[in-house]
Amino acid sequence: MPTATTAPATGVPAGSRGAGVRRRARWATLRRARHGVPALVFALPVLIVFLLFSWGPVVRGLVMSLQKTNLVDPVLWVGLENFRYVLQDPLVGQATLNTLWFTLLALLFGFPVPVLLAMFLSELRGRSWLYTTLAYLPVIMPPVVAILLWRFFYDPSSSGLFNSILGVFGLGPFPWLDSPSSAMPSIVLEATWAGAGNAVIIYLAALTSVRADLYEAAELDGAGIVRRIWHVMLPHLRGVLLLMLLLQVVGTMQLFTEPLLFTGGGPQNSTVTILLLIYNYAFVNGDYGAATALSVLLALALAALSAAFQLATRRWSTE
Amino acid sequence: MTITVGDRPSSSDPANRAQFDKKVADFEKANPDIRLDPAETIWDATTFQAQVAGGQLPDVLSVPFTEPQGLIARKQVADLTEALKGDGLLDELNPNVLRIAQDQAGKVYAVPTAAYSIGLIYNRDLFTKAGLDPDKPPATWDEVRAAAKQIAAKTGQAGYAQMTTNNTGGWMFTTQTYAFGGTIENAEGTKATFDDAPSKAALQTLHDMKWTDKSMGQSVLYDYDGIQKAFAAGKIGMYMGAPDMYRSIVQTNGLKASAFGIGPMPQQGGDHGTLTGGSVQVVSPNATDAEKAAAIKWIKFAYLNKYVSQDAAVTSAKNAVAAKQPVGVPGLPVIASGQWATYQSWIKPHVNVPLENFAPYTTVAADQKIIPEPPVKAQEVYAALDPVVQTVLGNEKADIAALLTKAAATVDAKLGR
Repeated sequence: MPTATTAPATGVPAGSRGAGVRRRARWATLRRARHGVPALVFALPVLIVFLLFSWGPVVRGLVMSLQKTNLVDPVLWVGLENFRYVLQDPLVGQATLNTLWFTLLALLFGFPVPVLLAMFLSELRGRSWLYTTLAYLPVIMPPVVAILLWRFFYDPSSSGLFNSILGVFGLGPFPWLDSPSSAMPSIVLEATWAGAGNAVIIYLAALTSVRADLYEAAELDGAGIVRRIWHVMLPHLRGVLLLMLLLQVVGTMQLFTEPLLFTGGGPQNSTVTILLLIYNYAFVNGDYGAATALSVLLALALAALSAAFQLATRRWSTE
Repeated sequence: MTITVGDRPSSSDPANRAQFDKKVADFEKANPDIRLDPAETIWDATTFQAQVAGGQLPDVLSVPFTEPQGLIARKQVADLTEALKGDGLLDELNPNVLRIAQDQAGKVYAVPTAAYSIGLIYNRDLFTKAGLDPDKPPATWDEVRAAAKQIAAKTGQAGYAQMTTNNTGGWMFTTQTYAFGGTIENAEGTKATFDDAPSKAALQTLHDMKWTDKSMGQSVLYDYDGIQKAFAAGKIGMYMGAPDMYRSIVQTNGLKASAFGIGPMPQQGGDHGTLTGGSVQVVSPNATDAEKAAAIKWIKFAYLNKYVSQDAAVTSAKNAVAAKQPVGVPGLPVIASGQWATYQSWIKPHVNVPLENFAPYTTVAADQKIIPEPPVKAQEVYAALDPVVQTVLGNEKADIAALLTKAAATVDAKLGR
C-alpha cells in the first residue's frame, strides 16, 4: 500500500520547513487563484442556475415554514407555529410510523433482491444482455401505468388476477390493498418489482470491474458459487452496497407516488406517508406553512440519518 | 384590453378545441374592444396552487363546486358582486345554486355554469337480473339495503359500493349524512356537527350492508375514477353519483347506454335533501374592475348564452353531437327555472342520451332540496372523514360512535386553524 509516499505530503505541517517554503506555498495559492478566475467565469452561469433553481426553493421553503401564506395576501410571520401545528397533528405520527414501516419492509425485501439478481446475472454466461434487459424492463414502464396495472392485479375479489392465480392452489382471496395490515406490504412488493432493475444495473456494473483472474483463481482453488459470492463478489460490492443502502433509505423515506395512486393513504390511514401528508397539506388544503414545516423536519431527519450513517460506516467502507 | 381565458381544449381533442376557438373568435368579433388570450390551463388540484403562487392563473377559469369556499377563504379569487350587478347577470342566475359561490356576507365570487345534485346511479341490467324493477330505483336507504342484498344474492356482484379515498369518502359520507337529516359543520363553519344520530345511522347502514348482508363486495378502496370503471364493468349494482358521470361511465368506460340508470338521492326518515356539485367560473384575484367586467362578458358568452339564445343553444347542441359528446344529460338549472325549460325544448331534437333512463332522477331532482358542501375547509374535513368510512367498511368491529367523536375532534382542530 502507498501509505509511505503519501504521508509526508499531508502529514508534515508546512511551517516546520521554514519561511521559504511558506512563501512558495503562498505564491502557488495565488497562482491557483488566478487560474481560478476564468474557470469561475465559465462556471458562473451554471452556478447561478444551480443557486436559483436548486437552492432557491430550499431557502424559500425554509422561509415559508415560518410564515402563514396563501401566496396571494401579504405573508404573516408566525414563528414556529407551523411546526407546533404539524407536531400536534396525530396523522404526522401515524405517517412517520407508516414511512418507517415501509422503509423497514423495503430494506428486508427490496434490498437483497437486486443484489442476488445481479450476482445471478453476472454468473450467466450466454445471452446475459437478454436477462439484463428483462430485469431492467419494469424501470422503463412509467410508474403511473405500472401502479394502475398492479391495482388491477390486486383486485380483492376472488376474480382478481392474483387472487384467481392463488385460488388455483386453494389460497385466498386476499384483500391486498384493501386491508390495513396487507396494504403496505403490497405496496412494497410493487415498489420492489418497479425499482429492482435500476439497482441491478448498478450492481452489475460494479461486478464487471471485478478482475476475471480473481474468479479463475477462486475456481482453481475449488470455490463453489457460494464461496465465490462471499469471498470475491461481496467484498467488491461493499462500497456500492453501502451507498445503495443509504440511497434506498433516503429514497424510501420519500415514498409518495405509490400510496397516492394505490390507496390514497387508506385504508384507515395505514399507507399515509410523510410525503403524502406534505402533498395533502400543500395542494389539497393550501396550507403551505404546515407543508413546508413538515418538509423541513423530514429534511433534517434525513440529513441527520445520512450523517450518522456516514460516520458509522466510514471505517468499514474504506477498510 | 386583453384577458386570458382558461379551459381551451388541448390539441389532442381537436373537435372541442375548434369549437372553443370559434367561440373565442366570435366573442372578439362581438366585442372589438376585448381581446382574448386562450390558455390550455384547466383546474387541477395539484397545479392550481402553484399557478396562483406564480401569478400564472388565467383571468377566467372553470373550477368544481368543491373549491369556491376554500378559494374565497384564502382570497384566491376576485369578488365579482359589483361586476355581476353591472351586467345584470345576478338576477338571471338560479339563486339556489348561486349560494355555492357566496361568502357569509352574500358577496359573489364565482359564476355557476353547470350544476347537478348527487343521486343514486344504478345498473339497469343488474336490476333486471336480480328481479328488481329498473324503472323504480330505491327511494329510501332501507330500500337501497334490500335492493343491494337482492343484487348480491342473485348476480354475485356487489349490490352497492361507495367511494372512500382521496377525500371522496368524506364527500360521500357528507351526502349520506345530509340524506339522513344530519349536518357536517355548524352554519358559521367553526365546529364539527357530524358526531350525532344521523351520521351514526348512515354509517350503521353501511356497516350492516357490508358485514350483515354482505352485499358490498370485497373492495374497500374506491376513488372517483375507480368506482366508475368498476361500475362500467358490471361489478357494482348501485352507488352514489351525479348524472354527469354518464359521460365517463358510458363513453369512456364502455357501459352500454341502456344499462345506465340514475335515481334521486335516497332519503331516510323524511325528505332532507342532497348534496350539490358542478362547475363555477372564477376570476383571477389580480384582475382590475375593467378586466372583471370583460371576464363576466366572456363567461356569459361562452357558458350561459345557450340558455338564453335559441341559436346558441341549437348550435352548441349540434356541435356537441358532431363531436360525439352527450347532449341532454340532465342537471340542475344554473339559470331561473322558466328559462331552463325553454332551453330544454330548444335542444330536444339533438338529445343523444336515453332521457328515459334519467327520468327517475329528473322527476324528483327539480324539487329535491339541495344542500351545499360544508362552508369551511370542506376538503380537509373530507380528508378527516375518509378513514372513518374506510374503517366501517374494513373492520367489522368498528366502533362507529368513537370514530365519529375522534374525527370531530380532528375537524374542530382544523376549523380553528
